[in-house]
Amino acid sequence: MAAAKEVGGGVTSPHLFAVAALLFLPVSLRATTYYLTIAGLGGEPEYEQRFAMWAGEIESILKSAGGDASVETLKGPAATRANVRAALEKIAGEAKSQDSLVIMLIGHGSHDGVEYKINLPGPDLSATELAALLDRVPATRQLVVNMTSASGGAINALSKPNRVVITATKTGTERNATVFPRFWVEGLRDPAADTDKNETISALEAFHYAEHKVAEYYESQKRLATEHPLLEDTGKGTGVRAPSVENSEGLRAAAFPLVRLGSAKSIAGSPEKRKLFEKKDQLEQQIDELKYNKAVMAPDQYRKRLTALLLELAKTQEELDK
Amino acid sequence: MRSALRLCASAVISFLAVHAQTLERAEALWKQQQYEAANNEFRALVASHPKNPDYRVRWGRLFLERFNGAEGAKLFQEALEIKKDHPGALLGLALVAAEDFQGKAVDLAGQALAADPKLTEARLLLARLALEDNDPARAAEEADKALAISPDSLDALAIHATIDWLNDQPDSPWMSRVLAKNPRYGQAYALAGHSFVLNRRYEEGIAYYRKALELQPDLWSARSELGINLMRLGFEDEARTQLQDSYEHHYRDAATVNTLRLIDSYKNFVTYRTSDTILRLHKKEAELLRPYFESELKRALATYEKKYGLKLDRPVQVEVYPDHEDFAVRTMGMPGLGALGVTFGYVVAMDSPSSRKPGTFHWASTMWHELSHVYVLTATHHRVPRWFTEGMAVYEETAASPEWGDRLDPHVIAAIKEKKLLPVAEMDRGFVHPTYPTQVVVSYYQAGRVCGFIAHEWGYQKLLAMMHDFATNTTTAQVIEKELGMKPEEFDKKFLAIVDAETKTVVERFDEWRKGIREVARMAKAGENQQVIDKSAALRDIYPDYVEPGNLYEFRADAYLALSDPRAAIQELEHYAKVGGRSPETLKKLAGLLVEAGRPADAAAALDRLNYIDPVDEDLHRRLGDLWFAGNNIDGAIREYQAVLAATPVDPASAHFNLAKAYRRASRPDNARDELLLSLEAAPGYRPAQKMLLEMSQSEQGK
Repeated sequence: MAAAKEVGGGVTSPHLFAVAALLFLPVSLRATTYYLTIAGLGGEPEYEQRFAMWAGEIESILKSAGGDASVETLKGPAATRANVRAALEKIAGEAKSQDSLVIMLIGHGSHDGVEYKINLPGPDLSATELAALLDRVPATRQLVVNMTSASGGAINALSKPNRVVITATKTGTERNATVFPRFWVEGLRDPAADTDKNETISALEAFHYAEHKVAEYYESQKRLATEHPLLEDTGKGTGVRAPSVENSEGLRAAAFPLVRLGSAKSIAGSPEKRKLFEKKDQLEQQIDELKYNKAVMAPDQYRKRLTALLLELAKTQEELDK
Repeated sequence: MRSALRLCASAVISFLAVHAQTLERAEALWKQQQYEAANNEFRALVASHPKNPDYRVRWGRLFLERFNGAEGAKLFQEALEIKKDHPGALLGLALVAAEDFQGKAVDLAGQALAADPKLTEARLLLARLALEDNDPARAAEEADKALAISPDSLDALAIHATIDWLNDQPDSPWMSRVLAKNPRYGQAYALAGHSFVLNRRYEEGIAYYRKALELQPDLWSARSELGINLMRLGFEDEARTQLQDSYEHHYRDAATVNTLRLIDSYKNFVTYRTSDTILRLHKKEAELLRPYFESELKRALATYEKKYGLKLDRPVQVEVYPDHEDFAVRTMGMPGLGALGVTFGYVVAMDSPSSRKPGTFHWASTMWHELSHVYVLTATHHRVPRWFTEGMAVYEETAASPEWGDRLDPHVIAAIKEKKLLPVAEMDRGFVHPTYPTQVVVSYYQAGRVCGFIAHEWGYQKLLAMMHDFATNTTTAQVIEKELGMKPEEFDKKFLAIVDAETKTVVERFDEWRKGIREVARMAKAGENQQVIDKSAALRDIYPDYVEPGNLYEFRADAYLALSDPRAAIQELEHYAKVGGRSPETLKKLAGLLVEAGRPADAAAALDRLNYIDPVDEDLHRRLGDLWFAGNNIDGAIREYQAVLAATPVDPASAHFNLAKAYRRASRPDNARDELLLSLEAAPGYRPAQKMLLEMSQSEQGK
């Protein structure tokens, strides 16, 4: 059966990340996530409007997701370098090490072969300056989503252990306006992006969604792709298009919850169900382990064991939902 | 190539001057097939005699023979700048134009003859062009004139022989005369091969190429043509052998090289066979497209079998290419063939919907068009003028569905206005040797409309009678007279009167419409919604067929939506869809509005249209699957959910779960459980899937 073969093979990498996500999850449940979205200078009314619209949509998605989150957006004339500095300095003063920080950049970027800059009203902000500001934030886990043109040129400056960096382009020479932000925003609100259906869209899931949609967009429009999104979360400074176990990229991004959907929010704040929640975590880990052994198991044996674990997990979830 | 060669020309001139080039030496090298050396000789000759047009012309002919007509044309032009009526240069340009089936070839050959009335080769070219235009009388006349100049012209005799063979007279006395003069002159049979292929009589064309090679095994152009045509008919193993042989003997024109590449690429295709169909799809989209193509293929064959009263004696092969360049290889060297699909006997090659921008290509309409050719060519034993088989194919598209086929486009409107439609007896010319860039498009329209007119006035059976007449090698003029009881000229008058009446408004008011649509676009941009509606109603009805980007239906629908009148917007978009609007985004918008209006069945119908336009769209299949599932069309839902999975979705867990739900509703519990497990394997925490697992498990335990 072709479909079964495809699915079995296709989910290998994400599930390694799912294991990692579960390990990180208890930490994320107790912490605050600071979100700062910056929509840079459009240059033309059409881009100005588009950038502000995307930033506004991100803000609305994050605010409606609830949880322990601090959401700030800088767009239009307010998106100056001084305001970005001030916002990050404020976060640096408030955040604790167990907290998370998410920076999302939308707009036009440039790269002169050495330095990347995002175009802002007034002086631009370079990747090096941004990296220095981020370094001052005590939140250990950080995610930078640079969705501007030429953003690939910023990857090296922004990379650091414990920081996930996503860029819309693979290099600083991909200078055309990007469509990545459109699909990133779509991914944050589309339940389809939550591929493991744990009601949380991780940074990796959002990346996969946007990357897939960007490729599909250029393919369907019969246009030469002028952007190739990358993800880097090892601190090595070299991003990849397809994070996987083989290239060791994506582990931290998989464990980085970006948006919680539906009942995940209430469960996250329900200590009385922790025991059931732990049982659920264990079952999910057992399922992941089983899947890793799929290739060496007899199909019937695998199916029987998988069914049993899935049934047990479903019953546990049913209890949790009561 | 030539410019690069020229760059270093100055460096070698001093050496060549010592070498003392002569035209004779260049020609001798060429004859010995030492093409590079001959090229060097010509280059040096031209450098040392820049004012001599003859050297440029001969050098141009070398380029032309070695598959570089563009460079050849430049040299012929340069020769004409030196001597404005150089007959050889004019002939050279005529030959280049003839290679690309350009209508100006006739004019250029005429100019060459005016400059040198004894230029036999120009006469022969005119004869060949007349043959290509399906005008044997003129071809014979030109061949006779060539013989009057050169009684020993083997090619002139071959033209006569070809005319006999095309008229089903296999024992042509003209060929005996050729063989008496030169028993190894394979080129005569190769000319026949070329003519038969152009008349879509591929099997006979192949037979003549074989005869050519029997006489002259080193006639590599004929061997390459043999390979290409074997490949067209699906005989790939022998095709590869013949093409490789040509290639290895340095016959490497674009058609040979590209066809070999295409054969190599077949390893990336999957072939599905039934008793009467062979469907070849690219691996990357085979699973997704197969259900849609297979079902439409079967439906078309069943319909045509009944309509044409003909049962095919072998399977029809349909090849679907996701890369348009691969498809284009199929049509190389063939004039006036469709840009989207092509038929060679029982083999149909066509673009995949994924090869084109969504909304620009209706694959099902194209497939029905091509399959009509299979029947018409078979019924007539390939003895059918181009206009008739194309006309039938165009007619069948809209007969299959009024929303299919091509709409009246601005090129056709311009042609009608400028009285450029051809007389029915000369319509093949518009396909084979177009005289203006859009003439092929106009010819498709005209041919389709002629068949539509005949079907309307005399009945469809009359078209079938005409088709059977053509099988007996009857000319268009004879068939029109026999079946319609009038001279072609009278038919033309009646036909043009109908076309003029039908298109009067749009032809007369096209400029007004064009100006008005710009104004509406400006109003839409400025958000003047009421003005858009007021201004566009009358404009839309001037040219209702216009459904391309920037059409008035979409402007009006958007304006109605902005004015909070979704009902009117729906009406507008339904009109757009009915006329043949194909934008996936617009049809999806219509579906969304219909859902909101509580008309899910109509919404599903709107989305189902897109399966024939842009089936490579996961979102389409998911939405249509949901609508059909909700409307209890479970088989339809299963097909759509399977398509979602075949499209490698971003969310496989949901895709498997939806399919599981549909299987469960269809009382196929084993399939449902398989899909459910696949869904949960991808996403173990997926609540709806967990719920179904518990339900199914409890239900099984209860048994």
